[in-house]
Amino acid sequence: MFSSIGTGADEYAAGLRAGRSRVRPITAFDTTGFAHTNACAVPDFEPERWLRHVSSEEFGRASQFSAAAARMALDDAGLVESDLIESRCLVSVGTTDGESHDLDRLTEMDVRHGPQQMDRVLVRRVPAIRLSTAVATELGLADAEAFTIGTACSAGNYAIGHGLDAIRIGDADIAICGGADAISRKTFTAFYRLGTIAAERCQPFDKDRQGILTAEGAGVMVMERLDSALARGARIYAEVLGYGLNCDAYHPVAPKQSSVAECMRLALDDAGVDPEEVDLISAHGTGTRANDITEVGAIREVYGSAPPRTVSLKSMLGHTMGAASALAAIACALAITHRFIPPTINHVTPDPECPIDCVPNQAVSADLRIVQNNGLAFGGNNASVVLGRYDTTSLDQRKDM
Amino acid sequence: MTPIVATADRLTISAWSAISPYGIGRAAFVDGVHSQGSTIAEPPPDEHDLPVSHARMVPGFDVRAILGPSNTRAMDRLTGLAVVTVRELLHGAGPPSSVTADRRTAVVLGTGSGSAGSMMEFTRSALVAERPFYVNAAAIPNNVMNSAAGRCAIWHELPGPNATVAGGRAAGLFALSYARRLLLAGRASMALCGAVEEFSRARSWLEFHSQDGEPGVLAEGAAVFAVEPAGGGTGRAPLAELLGFQSKLCLDSDPAKALSECVRRAVERSGGDPADVWAACPSGHSGKLGQVERDVLADVCGAEAVARCAVVEQVADAGAASAAFQLATLLSIAERNPEAAGRMAVLGSIDPGGTVACGVIRPLGSDA
Repeated sequence: MFSSIGTGADEYAAGLRAGRSRVRPITAFDTTGFAHTNACAVPDFEPERWLRHVSSEEFGRASQFSAAAARMALDDAGLVESDLIESRCLVSVGTTDGESHDLDRLTEMDVRHGPQQMDRVLVRRVPAIRLSTAVATELGLADAEAFTIGTACSAGNYAIGHGLDAIRIGDADIAICGGADAISRKTFTAFYRLGTIAAERCQPFDKDRQGILTAEGAGVMVMERLDSALARGARIYAEVLGYGLNCDAYHPVAPKQSSVAECMRLALDDAGVDPEEVDLISAHGTGTRANDITEVGAIREVYGSAPPRTVSLKSMLGHTMGAASALAAIACALAITHRFIPPTINHVTPDPECPIDCVPNQAVSADLRIVQNNGLAFGGNNASVVLGRYDTTSLDQRKDM
Repeated sequence: MTPIVATADRLTISAWSAISPYGIGRAAFVDGVHSQGSTIAEPPPDEHDLPVSHARMVPGFDVRAILGPSNTRAMDRLTGLAVVTVRELLHGAGPPSSVTADRRTAVVLGTGSGSAGSMMEFTRSALVAERPFYVNAAAIPNNVMNSAAGRCAIWHELPGPNATVAGGRAAGLFALSYARRLLLAGRASMALCGAVEEFSRARSWLEFHSQDGEPGVLAEGAAVFAVEPAGGGTGRAPLAELLGFQSKLCLDSDPAKALSECVRRAVERSGGDPADVWAACPSGHSGKLGQVERDVLADVCGAEAVARCAVVEQVADAGAASAAFQLATLLSIAERNPEAAGRMAVLGSIDPGGTVACGVIRPLGSDA
């Protein structure tokens, strides 16, 4: 995975444990005229360092992130391309913006020089399917079913959930899934116009929170059936126990509390888990006024007045859009493996309207068995994934990974 | 490697609707397929500076005129096409087509990248304004590619699973594949799935450049299918079985070979023989890849099977709605051809980005 605070599982885990964040002025586009311009970009990304088969000219930044993260995930899983030849593979990459940065550049060419001057290489990079095509190209997966899921800021969880379903029903042996996005003017401008961009830092659940910091990156995981993982002696970070998805059917951008609660319940039911068994919630936790109060309300509907500790990784990562719930799921798996809870940083003043223990500012040690990871999105597209620690005493009815 | 071949475990299409260059609704589509007419018209007068002068538009489609002034001020054309198509599916022609949706109804829509027109207009306005954030806030929901599916859920009160799948020209097939997994995993009891594409100046230029300046005629519209397990308790007589879906990525610059393998595998895994396929529908695109599709399908399934579907050109090039229109075309042809009942029909797709895909269905005989 790629994020502003770390590349790869080890660096990322260290960053999470340290409560790291990396906020810098945006350089991806000209920010003249904005009063504040901070974001959480992936620093010094060198595609050639990671990519063997994907051309950084023919694929845009989000696609490069996807493919590079997939390459890294395959290596981390102890697999090589030839291992996949006998496997039925699903590739699902979630995204909010696809290659919107390239589309923005094409718009600029159109505005400044006219539509004939649009760059054809950029045009071919734009279709959102390119993000999953990049993964399949990089790993030589000509026969994989590879598509991109465009459910905005919960797309990472959708991709993971779809991989889970493909494995459960016997369509696939391996699912390579996650999410990716790159910083774009379009998205920064939209959140800025809505008054939901923070000036300096993202402060989920804080009384004085001001909104998000836009960010970028990719999180990709290799999912396989438990028996196949055991048979090859794979290192198991976590089990994907279940997921749930629903739609608010309420408002294009504002979340609906009862629907968010229902999504979380669907996930718990699918995982065969009771609320009392959940040790940690990784919230969507954008740090906007609306999300945090709605999401905490939903959590309390499901979990009662003493919910589990609830953190927002966006405090450290910023809002990586379609990558967010995938990066969060990976963080949950690392937290389970290494037995710690990543903190909600930048926490100064608790908001009495968001009554949860957000593990402020410092990571803590914790014996995590089950974690719920939320993704909520514009369009009311909600998806929540439940992860569990795999150990040899796990019950047989626990499902995959 | 071993491909996934999704066999449908007895899923059926029990109803469908479409908005297309033939007009609004399933009946207009079926009539259009059988009418031998041409669908080319001029683009609307407020679209200027286009690379081509003609397009296959949905005739007279004005979102606000059709849906009314409430909650439609900032609804873009793509979203409007989706919302109205789902409306037609749910409330359209009456029995036996009426479909009742509930909490267990999923919505899955295929797209290219959402509304390029809305996104480019948004960024354009940011670039030319006095301040880079002087943009229309009401247009922001259209910046994300799930806005059409999300708005369908709001408009039609559909709180079940709701997904948007980006699949290029095969987006409709990927939407069906995604929906199939939701149904088999027990997350929904019915799925409304399909794909949608709008005509816009932005799309015209993007397509112009992606086809190396070969101007092609663009089409627009949406087709949405009600998919449910066979014997699902709705009581509607199914129109067709979904037998299989197969996709592949062409990595060696030989899309003909990739599509050929894909179609053979999909048909064989569905329990059929390619030589027995009754109808084989390409996308109808006029460019090189469209020709490759025709040639491959003719090679695998026979020239007659392909010739049967030549009419699909009237709804091409529909971009992300291509596969959905191909499916609608097959169902329309089958509806008035009794000999199609019980036979296999396929649709094949080659996307410029290298994805090839094939869907296999079995029409079950005409409904009332």
